[in-house]
Amino acid sequence: MIGIKSYGAYLPKYLMPRELIARAWDFPSVPGNKAVASIDEDSLTMSVEAGLDCLSGIDPKSIDGLFFASTTQVYTEKDSASFIATVLDMRTDIITTDFTDSLKAGTSALARAVDTIKANPDVKSILIIAADTREAEPATMWEYGYADGAAALLVTEGEDLPIIIDDYYSVSANVTGPWKRTKEDKFIRTFEVKMDARFYIENVTKVMSEIMKRNNLTPENVDIAAYYYNNPRLHSRVSKMMKFGQGVAQNGLFFQVGDTGTSMPFMLLISALKRPKEGAKIILAGFGDGADAILMHLQDRKAVRELSKNHMGIAGHQKSMIQLRNYNVFIENRQLLEKDRFVRKSSAVTLWRDTDAVYKMYGLKCTNCGTIQYPTNARSCVVCRADDQLERVKLNLKGTIFTYTLDHLVGGTYLDTPIPRCVIDLDGGGRVLLNMTEIEKPEDNVKIGMNVELTFRRIHEGGEFKNYYYKCRPPRGRQ
Amino acid sequence: MGNKGIRDKVAIIGCDASKFGEQWDKSQYDLLFEASHGAFKDAGITKDEIEAAWVGIFYYFTGMSGATVEDILRLDGIPITRTENYCASGMDAFRNACFGVASGVYDVVLACGVEKLMDEGSSGLPGFKIFGHPVFPLPSAPAMFSLAATRCFHEFGWTREDLARVAVKNHDNGSYHPKAHFKRKISIEQAMKAPMIADPLGRFDCCAMSDGAAALILTTPELAESYAHADDYVVVKANAISTRTNFPWYVPANGPGADFTSFPSTVKAAKMAYKEAGITNPRQEIDAAEVHDCFTITELINDQDLQFCERGQAAEELKNGTFNWDGETAVNPSGGLKSFGHPIGSTGCRMLQEITKQLQGRAEGRQVPDAKIGLCHNLGGAFSVASVTVLGQRD
Repeated sequence: MIGIKSYGAYLPKYLMPRELIARAWDFPSVPGNKAVASIDEDSLTMSVEAGLDCLSGIDPKSIDGLFFASTTQVYTEKDSASFIATVLDMRTDIITTDFTDSLKAGTSALARAVDTIKANPDVKSILIIAADTREAEPATMWEYGYADGAAALLVTEGEDLPIIIDDYYSVSANVTGPWKRTKEDKFIRTFEVKMDARFYIENVTKVMSEIMKRNNLTPENVDIAAYYYNNPRLHSRVSKMMKFGQGVAQNGLFFQVGDTGTSMPFMLLISALKRPKEGAKIILAGFGDGADAILMHLQDRKAVRELSKNHMGIAGHQKSMIQLRNYNVFIENRQLLEKDRFVRKSSAVTLWRDTDAVYKMYGLKCTNCGTIQYPTNARSCVVCRADDQLERVKLNLKGTIFTYTLDHLVGGTYLDTPIPRCVIDLDGGGRVLLNMTEIEKPEDNVKIGMNVELTFRRIHEGGEFKNYYYKCRPPRGRQ
Repeated sequence: MGNKGIRDKVAIIGCDASKFGEQWDKSQYDLLFEASHGAFKDAGITKDEIEAAWVGIFYYFTGMSGATVEDILRLDGIPITRTENYCASGMDAFRNACFGVASGVYDVVLACGVEKLMDEGSSGLPGFKIFGHPVFPLPSAPAMFSLAATRCFHEFGWTREDLARVAVKNHDNGSYHPKAHFKRKISIEQAMKAPMIADPLGRFDCCAMSDGAAALILTTPELAESYAHADDYVVVKANAISTRTNFPWYVPANGPGADFTSFPSTVKAAKMAYKEAGITNPRQEIDAAEVHDCFTITELINDQDLQFCERGQAAEELKNGTFNWDGETAVNPSGGLKSFGHPIGSTGCRMLQEITKQLQGRAEGRQVPDAKIGLCHNLGGAFSVASVTVLGQRD
């Protein structure tokens, strides 16, 4: 059998109250909040977070593949899946593929993962991560919807899995919109919203009806329907057309965190699993130029409970989310204003050579004196000075602040200053210097002895490529 | 020790410095020319008597290689070497010049330093984009030293007011010096109210960007007898440099300097220098010290690392007047980097010519009464390089 062994999610720290958008543009207000990524986040960094959440307690080296799904991948002609797999410290003899360009990429990646595991005896498990940071044109209604986040599902072969995947089915449709031209467009466009809505309703109902029919299910048999939506009214219309019972169609997330794109069906599923029912039948559906439906059932209620205890998922992140105080922070986070920004020099070669230290957070352990140290380029121990007796060890992504400063002299991003620069003693050994991100009132809240978590972030774009490294943050609860 | 070491082998027979400050109308050509010719005049020599030269320059935009000095002074093809060792570049130029004389290779040499920072703009040290790792954090200089300040506050209970007292003392001394960048006295309140640069260091806790140059003429004590300062030339008693990691923030808890309340480079350089100079009680034996007060916290830590007081006591001792120009150990009687700014490559040479003049009783600012033994201390990088020089009066 093939099913879901684990899940994880990531929601950024900040929520944009829709009221702020309404006030910024003098628009009619829409209730709720949407999740917005910080200036140092993108689909790749958020995927690392969701991956770490999903792999809590699981050896990343035991997984045979990584599928990445997004419409806002950070590169073309360079995939994100292999990069994310590197940061997650997975093996190199694995399959890595990006699923892009359609909002149904997440569900498509999930279906293709099942196909692959069925067909390829070398691949017994695949981590699927969907993430998006879609850009809405300021002062348009799209601003109310598009939100940022990531979610991950670990699909494996096995008997005692918490959730079993029973069937999957897809339809394809060349819809009239929306789209983003590869060269010309910064923002997502559409021609006729009413046509878009018609395609959405037709495809989502068709794919769900068909998979139910194939499996002799009536609407009463379906316990959870987690299907993508970007408009609450259309969502309830679909639910009515499908004749789903009360509470079956998962509809809370749009108001709480917004339309998170490719990751939304996964998020709706993860949210629904908080109240697991033995044997529950679940339909997961994604939409975008057609639709995918995946039919699952909950096999082990206790195991699902354990999952929600050991992973942050959606609720675990929501606990530490806070509202932005003004719209300008969002404008700066998206770099929507043109201004000179400090750019460091970079070297793709240096970063490649330092992969273990920079991306995987490895350090060195001296076999002579036992001291764990960072980074990995040393040949001689910083404490006992023994030569060539250093072996690579994985460092912990949690630690305690030993000393710090609040630096006001950080080039470019004056909005975020002061930046806390923290000397951190990692749990289990190794001392690092990291900037802190997402800290409110650092003057009051950064202290010696404070616990921090490491988080993978985009640092700068020197060398005309994305430069990533870790920062620290006040703990959000990742295990 | 046999014939090893530098003690009593080198004499300073002439020295000078340019005015320090925002010298928009002068280039490094003017600054080094004025300082060097001032030193030639002080020594009573012409430039043709210089056989070799060493120059401290940190930033490439001030000049690369010894050719920078040749273009400024036209020394007719003598060997000239640029030394770079962070903020100790100037004192390392002096150290190498000492070797030139002590080895017997040259009779008369020039040690100098110059830096033209202001041409790059005045908002913090430039050039940090040009070196270092692509993504590892690269703190600004104030941020590096703030890491130590935060830890000292935690360990010793020091406060921003303790730091302000360093600024007040040094600006007071500097107000008497004709060549200082800043010549205004300040109050504790003023210092504490200034905007933050890198918390807990505010603007008055940081030395300024500045332009300047300084130069010294060296020979052997024997030959010094036949030059202008035959009666009051100054002798090098010790000169030591200690070099530590570029990245103190990676040194694990059990490694050197991991406590961020002391700079192991200074501790080691001081130990080496005191041994060579035969100094056993620095607090009593050293009359005047120019120490590296790039930041107020640095001066307090230096006072301890140089053994002028017990660990944790520097703030209290400063409050009690120990380090005043007329106190037990005068620290930065010139006004220090706080008053002069810090044109990187020149600072070490500026300190050396300052202490030389103190020992000759002709200090341009505040004269420390009866100064016989003096000390100069440079600290560079992320506390990576420390240089300590002990100077004494001729026998």
